[in-house]
Amino acid sequence: MRYFVARVIQALIVVWAVGTLVFFMLRAVPGDPIQALLADVDPTAAEAIRAKLGLDQPVWVQYLFWMRNTLAGDLGQSLYGSHQEVSQQIAEAIPRTVSLALVAFLISFTLGLTAGIVSAVKKDSVLDYSFNLAAFLGISMPSFWIGIVLIIVFAVNLRWLPAIGYKPISAGIDQWLRYLILPGLSVGLPFSASIARLTRSAMLEVLGQDYITVARAKGMNEKRVIFRHALRNALIPVVTVMGISLALLFSGSVVVENVFAIKGLGRVLIQSILNRDYPVVQGSILLVAVLLVFMNLAVDMLYRLIDPRISYD
Amino acid sequence: MNEQLKKIFARLSRQEKAQVDEEIRRAYDYDPRDPLFGLSKEELGGPKLSRRGFLRLLAASGGSLSLSHVLGAAGIVLPQAARVAAQAGGHLICGWAGTAEITTLDPAQINQVLQFQVSSNVLSGLTHINADLVAEGDLATDWTVSDDGLVWTFTLREGVTWHNGDPFTAADVLYTYNRSRDPQQSIHSGNLVNVVDLTALDDMTVQLTLGKPQASLLVKTLERSSGRAMTIVNQNAIESMGLQDYGLKPVGTGPFRVTEHQLGQGVVLERFDDYYDPARPVLDKITIIPIPENEPLAAAIETGDIHLIGGNGVAAELVDRFLANPDMVVDEIPGNGFQSMFVNPWREPMVVEDFNLSVDELKQQNGFKVRLALAKAFDRERFIQRGLFGRGVPAFGTINPAMGYYFDTAINESSEQRFDLEAARALLAEAGYPEGEGFPTLKLLTTPGGRRQGEVIVDMYRNNLNISIELDVKDFTVLIEDANRMEYDLLRLGSGGDFDPDDGLVDWMLSGSRFNGPNRNDADLVAARGELPFGFFAADRVDELINQQAVTADPEARKALVQEANQLTSDKLASIFLFHGTEILVHRAEVTFPAESRIVGLRDLDRVSIS
Repeated sequence: MRYFVARVIQALIVVWAVGTLVFFMLRAVPGDPIQALLADVDPTAAEAIRAKLGLDQPVWVQYLFWMRNTLAGDLGQSLYGSHQEVSQQIAEAIPRTVSLALVAFLISFTLGLTAGIVSAVKKDSVLDYSFNLAAFLGISMPSFWIGIVLIIVFAVNLRWLPAIGYKPISAGIDQWLRYLILPGLSVGLPFSASIARLTRSAMLEVLGQDYITVARAKGMNEKRVIFRHALRNALIPVVTVMGISLALLFSGSVVVENVFAIKGLGRVLIQSILNRDYPVVQGSILLVAVLLVFMNLAVDMLYRLIDPRISYD
Repeated sequence: MNEQLKKIFARLSRQEKAQVDEEIRRAYDYDPRDPLFGLSKEELGGPKLSRRGFLRLLAASGGSLSLSHVLGAAGIVLPQAARVAAQAGGHLICGWAGTAEITTLDPAQINQVLQFQVSSNVLSGLTHINADLVAEGDLATDWTVSDDGLVWTFTLREGVTWHNGDPFTAADVLYTYNRSRDPQQSIHSGNLVNVVDLTALDDMTVQLTLGKPQASLLVKTLERSSGRAMTIVNQNAIESMGLQDYGLKPVGTGPFRVTEHQLGQGVVLERFDDYYDPARPVLDKITIIPIPENEPLAAAIETGDIHLIGGNGVAAELVDRFLANPDMVVDEIPGNGFQSMFVNPWREPMVVEDFNLSVDELKQQNGFKVRLALAKAFDRERFIQRGLFGRGVPAFGTINPAMGYYFDTAINESSEQRFDLEAARALLAEAGYPEGEGFPTLKLLTTPGGRRQGEVIVDMYRNNLNISIELDVKDFTVLIEDANRMEYDLLRLGSGGDFDPDDGLVDWMLSGSRFNGPNRNDADLVAARGELPFGFFAADRVDELINQQAVTADPEARKALVQEANQLTSDKLASIFLFHGTEILVHRAEVTFPAESRIVGLRDLDRVSIS
């Protein structure tokens, strides 16, 4: 328990450090949001807008304001357009990103683990080589390209699934899933490839251990050997990678979101960086930092469940 | 004449047919070189240019007359049956290309064409341009102008209702004016500097007083879509909804009302039943989805997931693919803008310190010789083929073909910038760089989106002049800062959405224009390089011509001033003008997009139907 509390405090410090670093780095990089905003319009409005948004204040004053507001739960407003609340932009993006992440995670988990286990058990078989080749291709192909190929095959030629867009789960689970299958595959396939590779090597290592030989020697059912004794021990590195993957998936797959025109967290983040939309960048990076740090923490906690020998006290 | 127009024509009464025939006959009954000869002030007044003035302008512009033009200009109201022939109802799904979201629909904040393409369907202005870029009454039904051109009196349309049920009155015009003038509330306050006063004479009449006469008042300042400063907004709605919500779902008096808007996921528009013209809109519902990437956009329209493309325009490389598809309609018209390569006159070896010298005097200077060599070595036709897949026309000035009446291709032959490789090489040699020898490597500042065109430019100069140019690719936010500070050798920049000569001339070519190095004398820069008297270009005669054309209401006199200014900016190399883009409308065959709605740069969907 003491360990857990210490880890949470550490995590909070990391989040604060990330937020602060991003705040100052953003202001150090070239690019002025107000000039970009007003490129097409009236420069006399620039000073008025700068003052209104507090961008005429010294940077450290802006920082103190930001800290105070963030601690009070106020992430500010976008500098652009209708000046939407950052929290609202993030709140709207999260269900889309989480949906995409879940589908992608399920796909990569199912495909990756299955292929990894089969490859390890049937080492050097045709099946193993095929899976290896597929995994190699999966890792090598960028997800946006997979996305475009999937669109051409399944949307344009076969007309089975929609090419772009997103439907919330409130529109019905079938609609929700229909729109998520192609983007989910685009994100999930490359991940499943790395999970398959990792599972295979971890399994092979474990399958070579003495206790597996003993288990087999005493006539234990092969299924039980693999799933109960080998897999469980092989899972430690896989879970670590999956935890980080899930956090990365939650922070958004920018490229795939762009291809399928889904406005998730990744797109919010990239769009705001390109526009130098300070509050939105700060808000979304803060959220991503929280996700990554706490996901890591959760993975560490999960180790204990998988392997009772690991102790944190 | 297309099939639909023929059908409509067939339904007209005999008297109306006779009127149309007469209009077509009279349209050519004058000397096109003198399009406005004999027109009175009344004929130039509202509710749109008189049909004589309109038809003459149109024919003079080289535009071919069609029945739809005459029907619009003659003010014939089509019989209800003819309109119903276009299928009523239906749900149109549009993809907005090249954008991740439609950030705002509040005219006070709109800074992109793809935004006012949507707002033009929701909000109204006193005037709206038609397919021939002539201003017509929208919320104003008529107007008169004082003899000195300073006082304009507008009669407002009766019986107009806002989407929230409020009645439209002069108070709304006044509220919009006061809001747009305030730089705290609107980014367009600068566009109203010349409108010194606006008063409501009664509920249905407003009077507007100008500081000096202004030629572009009707097509720019008071225009509902690109104008923005006087796109009429609803005070009650802004106050009750708050700015954020109003920016997403503005309450207007237009043919469609916004019922849903999630940033980045799309906008839903539904038919407004109380629109002032009962025959419009035809559609029941429109969904607009932003689609940032090209390939998914193409897939979406090919599969029928979307029916029409708007937004940032169709990527040139997709056009041939759509043309080959029988399910698709592709309509290409001249675009409204210009694209340039600006050459910094404060950097060696392109230095020119005084553009007031005559062209012959300038030609004696080495810096100008280098600039001219760069301009003359630029093969526009080849660039358009390689960089734009053939979708564009050569540019020699800011005045573009979409401006019709003000555009004249004579400049393609008369400009000092016309392509002449031998002359270019000779000039470069005279300037001290025979065959490009010893010429320093220049940097071309461009955006990530401009990389491909940039590569074509680099390659062209390597081949034509044996000089090397490096691309300096920066995000737009950084690029615009460097541009404003004159921190570049060469800069790829241009303009879109220009409907009036003011857009190119006043905004770019005037010595004090908003793009002409406004931040060149920031404190840190002055310390390093001293004060720069101007940005990329300044010539007194050009300023004089531009200022004069801006206050000249007579189109013919204005045209002469515009052309002279355009020629001077071209000959003196205010920038190397590269091309005018084309505007390409792509939709599926089941969509009918009538000619009268085909306004360059816009996607007015009130007359559009889907079967």
